[in-house]
Amino acid sequence: MDSARIEFGIDSFGDLPRDEHGAVVSHAEAIRATVREVVLADEVGIDVVALGEHHRPEFAISSPETVLAGIATATRRIRLSSGVTVLSSDDPVRVFQRFATLDALSNGRAEIILGRGSFTESFPLFGYDLADYDVLFEEKIDLFHRLLDEKPVTWEGTTRAALHEADVYPKTDAGGLRTWVGVGGSPQSVLRTAHYGFRLMLAIIGGAPDRFAPYVDLYRQASEKLGRVPQPVGMHSPGFIADTDEEAEELFYPGYKEVRDRIGALRGWPPLRREEFAADVARGSLYVGSVDTVARRIARAIRVLDAGRFDLIYSAAGAVSASARLRAVELYGTRVIPRVRELLADDPATLPAEAR
Amino acid sequence: MSSDARSGRRLTFGLNTFGDVATDGARVLTDAESVRLLVEEAQLAESVGLDHFAIGEHYRDDQVDSAGPVILAAIAQATRRIRLGTSVTVLSTRDPVRLYHEFATVDALSGGRTEMVLGRASAIESFALFGYEITQYEELFEEKLALFLRLLREDTVTWSGAHRAPLDAVRLRPRMPEGGIPAWIGIGGSPDSVLRAAQNGLPLMMAIIGGRPERFAGHAELYLRALAQAGHPELPIGQHSLGLVGETDDEARDLWWRYWEPVVTDISRERGFYPPTVERYREELDDGALYVGGVETVAQKIARAVRANHLSRFDLKYDLRHLPRAARARSIRLLGEQVAPRVRELLDATADDLQPAGRHIEQITADGGPARAS
Repeated sequence: MDSARIEFGIDSFGDLPRDEHGAVVSHAEAIRATVREVVLADEVGIDVVALGEHHRPEFAISSPETVLAGIATATRRIRLSSGVTVLSSDDPVRVFQRFATLDALSNGRAEIILGRGSFTESFPLFGYDLADYDVLFEEKIDLFHRLLDEKPVTWEGTTRAALHEADVYPKTDAGGLRTWVGVGGSPQSVLRTAHYGFRLMLAIIGGAPDRFAPYVDLYRQASEKLGRVPQPVGMHSPGFIADTDEEAEELFYPGYKEVRDRIGALRGWPPLRREEFAADVARGSLYVGSVDTVARRIARAIRVLDAGRFDLIYSAAGAVSASARLRAVELYGTRVIPRVRELLADDPATLPAEAR
Repeated sequence: MSSDARSGRRLTFGLNTFGDVATDGARVLTDAESVRLLVEEAQLAESVGLDHFAIGEHYRDDQVDSAGPVILAAIAQATRRIRLGTSVTVLSTRDPVRLYHEFATVDALSGGRTEMVLGRASAIESFALFGYEITQYEELFEEKLALFLRLLREDTVTWSGAHRAPLDAVRLRPRMPEGGIPAWIGIGGSPDSVLRAAQNGLPLMMAIIGGRPERFAGHAELYLRALAQAGHPELPIGQHSLGLVGETDDEARDLWWRYWEPVVTDISRERGFYPPTVERYREELDDGALYVGGVETVAQKIARAVRANHLSRFDLKYDLRHLPRAARARSIRLLGEQVAPRVRELLDATADDLQPAGRHIEQITADGGPARAS
């Protein structure tokens, strides 16, 4: 892909930063910190922000589009996305209404990344059974796809009340919303994404990005088989940027380990060891380091996956200081992104398929 | 109560919108333009000194307020002082948990300026759209109100009910300030709703959209006495009514009629009311609940309602399907710059008119009387 056309995003789950006295801030303040970070991202030319939906103590954002609506008024150019909207435990009609409203408020800058969620808290919270994980997403993505036509919908399923010639408002000016599906590694999800003509966003939160190349191929092949022009593929991974590699790692590691271990405990993972962390920084999916280090690693990942969009989850640094977070966003926008484009322009070749 | 709380200085003014699509010259705005217009109008409302901006919740053609909290979030970042709320949130067909998430987020973005009015809604589209039984209108509201108030007031909530999945020691995020944001109860005329507001210790917002506003004096009296009986302090009473402030009475009245007549004709067809007539319109203007006219007329009429209904807040629903955006802007400007100060002046000059009938609450609700809506 033409390096000038690749889009770069910053993603946040609304982790709570620390204030200037080292105290972890409130949820409300974390939301305001997110707004300030995205205002800066807009000023330094970052293309898109994606905010995740979570229902856990370490994350402040449970309603991404509400935060994005505030950001819409405070920014001029940056695209505004969820990352992800947990569609399985939401109502597609409400989701459409909220995002169409966001799209209006932002003059057409809204996007949505639909997902099943890698966390399960939203299921009991909103009264859904995890046993219905698959059918919930299948039915709801189907209904959401129908709603995107912005015409009266007649629909019947098992996971929501039937609709009869239901017309849903507000209508968007463009007649639709740019929609992605967030995929963590299920071929089924990749095929479903191609089936609906949605864009594919790969959540790559550990290990080498190379192992996701088969999904990219699968998505392209499935799209072509359906007679569709394949849409760009995106990837989203954690990372952090500071003036030196060492500083970035020291800032990132403690907060990252804390959240990673807390979540790992629920999933049966052993605590993170520093060597594992170092390996993921060197060869895996943690884009942590100086401008040059992070730029080289992002350029490589983009080549390997022929990605059209790269999103950095900068909030994965956990309870780091708000000023360090702002600095990471600034470095990403002013220096990393231009450097990645340079690297890709110098050597645009993707790795040959057999090297994947 | 102290006379200060009722004096003109403490009276607050709000704007209410139902997201009605506006026109610009001969052109009907798109839905998206109409959404963005609300942000501009909220900024204008703040700049002319109005105290509240509140958005409704509707699910139909020509109304763009289906996701009110999202619009309020955008307004939060575009304003500094004005309070941001709803008029009303249809709690019956909403999930209190998600509602908490959305309003806690708006409150974070606005630095604590969020409030809401909770109601059962007079339009019923949301029931079919979201899969609720209209026959459960009453119990849905009661159950969801009870849950929502616990979410507002308690830190960690364990709850079970008939209309939503149970909650087991749930703590929602982002957190609202302790005790939650201010929540009012919106009523359309049912004494039971008045009592519910009082028993729950919530401020009362009376939607008076037709007939003589003074009919609601009984509701105000009922509310105040029920509050006292339940051991709550006196709480604010607000009135929401429709209207337009123009240069002169005639100009405003002609303009409003042009857009009001087709809207009311449609509603009368849908709900089986009588169609609007010029005579009926004149009655509503002179003695009824339409606050349409020049500055002095509207100010006199609001002052009358404030005195009769014991109000400390008056909200004007200023939009109407296809009403030109310029007329909306002028109405907002005149309300803030001229009507509000004039009403305060009028109120400072006279005392409260509320004359409690002195009857038992049971009697007021049982036989209707002054508490009856129509």
